[in-house]
Amino acid sequence: MNKVKSFFSKSYVWLIMLFFYLPIFYVMLFSFNESKSLTRFTGFSLQWYKKMFETRTIREAIYYTIIIAVLATIISTIIGTLTAIGLSKSKKVLREVVLQVNDLPMMNPDIVTAIGFMLLFTSLSIEKGFGTILLAHIVFCIPYVILTVMPRLRQLDDNLAEAALDLGATPFQALTKVIIPQLKSSIVAGALIAFTMSFDDFVISFFTSGPAVNTVAIYVYSSIKRINPTINALSTIIVLIVTIVLVLMNVVPMIKNRKKEEGFEK
Amino acid sequence: MKKIICYLLVVMLVLPLVGCNKGEKSDFDPIAEFGSDELYVYNWGEYIGENTIDEFERRYNVTVHYKTFDSNEEMYTTLLGGDSYDIIVPSDYMVERLIKENMIQKLDISLITNIDNIADNLDSPNYDPDHSYSIPYFQGTVGIVYDTTKVDPQEVEEKGWDILFDSKYAGQVYMYDADRDNFMPAMKALGFSLNTNDPNEIQQCYDLLMKQRKEVNPGYVTDEVNDDMINGLKALAVVYSGAASYIISENEDMAYCEPYQGTNIWSDAMCIPSNAKNVKLAHAWINFNLEKEVAIDNSLYVGYTSGNKLALEELSNGEFKDISSYKIRTGYPLDEEYHDDESLKKTLGELWTHVKAGN
Repeated sequence: MNKVKSFFSKSYVWLIMLFFYLPIFYVMLFSFNESKSLTRFTGFSLQWYKKMFETRTIREAIYYTIIIAVLATIISTIIGTLTAIGLSKSKKVLREVVLQVNDLPMMNPDIVTAIGFMLLFTSLSIEKGFGTILLAHIVFCIPYVILTVMPRLRQLDDNLAEAALDLGATPFQALTKVIIPQLKSSIVAGALIAFTMSFDDFVISFFTSGPAVNTVAIYVYSSIKRINPTINALSTIIVLIVTIVLVLMNVVPMIKNRKKEEGFEK
Repeated sequence: MKKIICYLLVVMLVLPLVGCNKGEKSDFDPIAEFGSDELYVYNWGEYIGENTIDEFERRYNVTVHYKTFDSNEEMYTTLLGGDSYDIIVPSDYMVERLIKENMIQKLDISLITNIDNIADNLDSPNYDPDHSYSIPYFQGTVGIVYDTTKVDPQEVEEKGWDILFDSKYAGQVYMYDADRDNFMPAMKALGFSLNTNDPNEIQQCYDLLMKQRKEVNPGYVTDEVNDDMINGLKALAVVYSGAASYIISENEDMAYCEPYQGTNIWSDAMCIPSNAKNVKLAHAWINFNLEKEVAIDNSLYVGYTSGNKLALEELSNGEFKDISSYKIRTGYPLDEEYHDDESLKKTLGELWTHVKAGN
């Protein structure tokens, strides 16, 4: 009886894994297709990768996507973390109000935010380009950072910061040496969410990027009409990068911990 | 964490170097000739030859910023949002609207020396009869792709659009999932104009489509139809001629028919928006794309019928000889272009939602 039960619970997990990863595997498989077809595998070839790296539009799109995602992540993480720390020290009314306001952009459909940005930039006659898309990405990333950092802050002991100040730390030292190290895991989580939000955003990018800036999402979306496996090759590379980043994030701290433990044992 | 950020920063610094190897340049001085060395092009996705941009940059020593869109309406919205492009490629009805709203500027024909290369059938399109605003780029029709192993070619030719509404082919039909493209076969089958806004005629088309939904149960698809037809999933499909060329080249059993009741003929054209900043260079781009070799390169890669006379002639006797959908049926009075009609589009859009929902 128990065996049957464990068989079902195990296969259930595998089934879910299958649903998660089958589409990704499918995309990867057809990036190696010899013909242009997306449903019939005719033979192995790397021509779509070659084409991808030869096409300048795609290279530029990758470049802009990464640089915007990284900058938006760094800036929104800094702003979001500082805002969260500031809020934790302010009056309850103000905190509740700001947190409610912070929820709005996340609940708001992307398309409304996007049109709003477009109309704002247009009415202020700001020419759309790298600056506007970066600004828009920072803005929609901040709420996610605040949301992930805030709960951890609530658990912190207020006395620790005060103790640091009593022991002669400047307020800045108290912030960087005492508060932020305790928040590290939630800051990293917030930054990761911000990065993925920025990386795969299409709607807001489309309306705020202007003539000169292209992102991967915009490129993929506008190529859907006459799709070919170049898109699959591009997706495969993206999946690969994301996987590597995730593995690094998980493995590096593990190795560090082990080294620390070994150090103690000695 | 610090290390990861460091790595990311290094990658960011290296990437632009990778993106900048453009190869050797000519001695051409674009500033003296055109007053600018940058061009902003806004085109459909996957709608240009692989070498066109590089070749243009090399010849004139300029940088082309190339961006793509997915629908006329999408492009129109970004133009309304104030984005300034130098070249856009709208479809016929959108050219009509942009002219009406003063959003594209008159071309300086003296700068377009290759204007005689425009395909004969596009000599004077309804939306812009004397090419004072637009120069055709690609063109095509809408027709029926059918599986010759399942459907008799003679039957398709005889019945035309009617075959799509024949319950004999229940479960074997793909219709195109877009408001006007879905109503078009019904309008033509009933002998109406595809620009009709007579409520009575539209009602008849709606009834026909509802009947088709019940009796034939067609699949409503857009571009996934290409792969589905290549794999022979169904017997009949409404497709654009460019897609048909691709389907036929991948699956020999497929054939293309332009129904005798007439169909939609369309073209996409190069235009210069009113707020363009590099107008002279934009003219050079248009002229460049009218060159025979460039047009051939574009058409070979995209697979759509060229709007260029010379490319059309060479390719329909060469590379695309066996592909009937590459050739354009000309001088057929029942073939029509869409006209820009927002209220019609809205009406059809609403009715179309009902057809899809089946109530």
